[in-house]
Amino acid sequence: MVHPLSLSHFYLRNKRKIIPVIGILALAIVGVVVTDSLLASARETAYATFGSYQKLILVAPRATREQDLANPLAQSLSRLQDVQSQVQAISAPQGLDAYYAAVAAIPVRLRAQVPVMDRAEQDAAAAQDFGARLRGDLAPLDQLLRRVQRVQTEEAALTALEVQLTRNPQDLAPLVTYLQQHRTWLQSVLPAAADLGQLQQAVVGTSADALGLQQSLARLSADAAALAAAGRSVPSLPPPPAGPDLGPFRASLDALGRTLNAFQAPQADLDRLLSTSTGLRGVAFAQREAFSNLDINLLAGNAQFDLYGLNPAGMQQLLNLYGDRVVAGRLPQPNASEVAISQEIARARNVWIGGQVGNKIDELDSLPDAFTVVGILQGPTRIGVVPYQYMTQHYLFERRYEGLVVAPRAGQEGQVHAQIAALVSGKPFRIFDWPYIKGKIDSLIQNLDTINRFLILLVTIVLSLVVGLLNNLFFRQRMNEFGLLAAIGYSRLRLIGRVAWESLGVTLAAWALGLGLGVGVLAWFNETFMVPHGLLMNVFNWRLLLEHTLPIPIMVFLFGMGTVGWQLLRLDPISIIERRD
Amino acid sequence: MLEARAVSLDYATGDTVAHAVDTVSLQVPPGSFLGLIGPSGSGKSSLMYLLSGLKQPSRGAIGFEGREFARLSAGALMRLRRTRFGFVFQQHFLINYLTVLENTLVGAVQPTPDAVRRALALLDRVGLRDRAAARPYQLSIGQRQRVAVARALVHQPSLIFADEPTAALDQATGQQVIALLADYRREMGSSVVVVTHDPDMLVGADRVFHMRDGRLN
Repeated sequence: MVHPLSLSHFYLRNKRKIIPVIGILALAIVGVVVTDSLLASARETAYATFGSYQKLILVAPRATREQDLANPLAQSLSRLQDVQSQVQAISAPQGLDAYYAAVAAIPVRLRAQVPVMDRAEQDAAAAQDFGARLRGDLAPLDQLLRRVQRVQTEEAALTALEVQLTRNPQDLAPLVTYLQQHRTWLQSVLPAAADLGQLQQAVVGTSADALGLQQSLARLSADAAALAAAGRSVPSLPPPPAGPDLGPFRASLDALGRTLNAFQAPQADLDRLLSTSTGLRGVAFAQREAFSNLDINLLAGNAQFDLYGLNPAGMQQLLNLYGDRVVAGRLPQPNASEVAISQEIARARNVWIGGQVGNKIDELDSLPDAFTVVGILQGPTRIGVVPYQYMTQHYLFERRYEGLVVAPRAGQEGQVHAQIAALVSGKPFRIFDWPYIKGKIDSLIQNLDTINRFLILLVTIVLSLVVGLLNNLFFRQRMNEFGLLAAIGYSRLRLIGRVAWESLGVTLAAWALGLGLGVGVLAWFNETFMVPHGLLMNVFNWRLLLEHTLPIPIMVFLFGMGTVGWQLLRLDPISIIERRD
Repeated sequence: MLEARAVSLDYATGDTVAHAVDTVSLQVPPGSFLGLIGPSGSGKSSLMYLLSGLKQPSRGAIGFEGREFARLSAGALMRLRRTRFGFVFQQHFLINYLTVLENTLVGAVQPTPDAVRRALALLDRVGLRDRAAARPYQLSIGQRQRVAVARALVHQPSLIFADEPTAALDQATGQQVIALLADYRREMGSSVVVVTHDPDMLVGADRVFHMRDGRLN
């Protein structure tokens, strides 16, 4: 027969008192398991999303990182059209020319009496000159801007034709012919480096002339005011033309100038860096690349997932580096607005083969326009690739980064990092690698982690107090039992041991139940939400679960046992026997 | 045999010292039935606590079968109480979540098949065999006290201490409880020490000691 004071008797016969305690503890543990795992998931998903940096180093020009999402080309063109009409207006019959003629026609005698009139003539001449120069600037600038804009328009038309071709495969031949002709034409009008240099000069010259005109017109107004102050009326002198507000126009030109500088300046250095990096000790491969980003949800906030713009060989090297493979579709063609992404990223963006991503689809994507998903990748690392050729021949004025990927051989990451860091030192480049990216992720998660740890501590303390209080109440109800047992010869240590086992059983049962329920909830949540959204969750992260949930039953047990044990040590059986209640 | 030699038990209350038991000498021979009677506060329960090892005397010595309590370790004294002594108190102190049989077996050193047989026999003896599976709250006060007696006897103690075992019972039930103890003494040759304030309960006792102000008369 089972000993009447066995634990099984105690648990089975005190279910109504034990189950609520187990329930409270288990629910708290479920809460800890879920919040802990979600936090770990946020970190793991972030690590996985940027996991490509674990095996490569990205060297990127600093300037391009500072580019704005706005398109300075379009802004400059729209301002230019306003300025053109305003500059035409000040050159109209009643404008600057008429004013200059009127000033020049003032008799010499009169001008000798009023010296400020001489200055007025000089200023009118200067304004006339700047006006003419600006008119001269605007025409070629307009032409250049329109040409580049046309390139962009044609680019969009090309994309539309490609879509049309995909949708109407029955009428393939004429469309293909048209597409080929169009592409040839498009490539012929792409702005060469010389065109870009010309545009850069025109932008700088126009900005300077616009400033000169603005200052000359301001001086004309000052001259007119000085004449009026001198008290001499010159009836034949018309009022000077009001100057256009050239400030916004100049601001747009300056932004355009900065953009042109930004994607012009580092290119030569990048080529040199590529050739040097390729020969570095410990480098598996180095590739020129034009990278871009997709906006994805990381659970702890949105992040920009890196897309590597590589040539076909580079794409394959990248896949081999990570052990990833194409599981659906294919890799992007060199001259197409196509993208291949890991399946988790595809899920996160809710796209598959044939779907589209890019700035037109989601304005938070820095990948310009709309790119068609042609390949789904699978493997240990989440990556995305776009064609280098297409990226570098398009979207010159969109936000676009060109850089270098350097893949160190396994075990030589530190050595390669040091060499690359030395190479880019003092140059307008910066390095993005795993320690940097991991540091960013960790700092993002750290605050949440601190809050989570604080909550666990709070839950542990509150639960210890609550369950400890319940234990004490329960213990007090059983004082007669312990008094009797002490009186008839059960030692205090045996009684403490008995209570300890009872308490341990309850807390361990609650812990196991909480853990089981928590893992069950997580498994369900993982299947129904996390996986479909491309988020990573390790449902059975035992180390983490043990580390963060075990303190609760341990603290509850120690606190409960501490108070009950202390009372048992001081237990006087006679005082209980003699009670007459 | 249990023997007390000039034992005293003092309580310090402020500057004064009260003598709950004052220089009492007593022998409880094997198989004897001793009664301790006296008014409330006379020290009879305190003397029983000293005799059973539940309290240490301030002075004097107590020994059982030649072994002095003072020379025994706390553990040995516990074992002595657990294995050789049986206790019946004024209240039954049954454990509510255990059955009548399990409560009886709480007194057994181990719930061996022998102990279970003995427990069932004792329950039969106290007229509660058919209530072996019942819980204490399903019994009357008198029935509960009879279970408490069975619990005190199940490990076949050499010496049974009963402290006001009938105080909470009516006269007839009280007589039944005392009769149970007396019968057991006769059958097993054990000693019984009964503390009571009711002389009717000590009719069959070999000796009755009257206590007053901590002293035996």
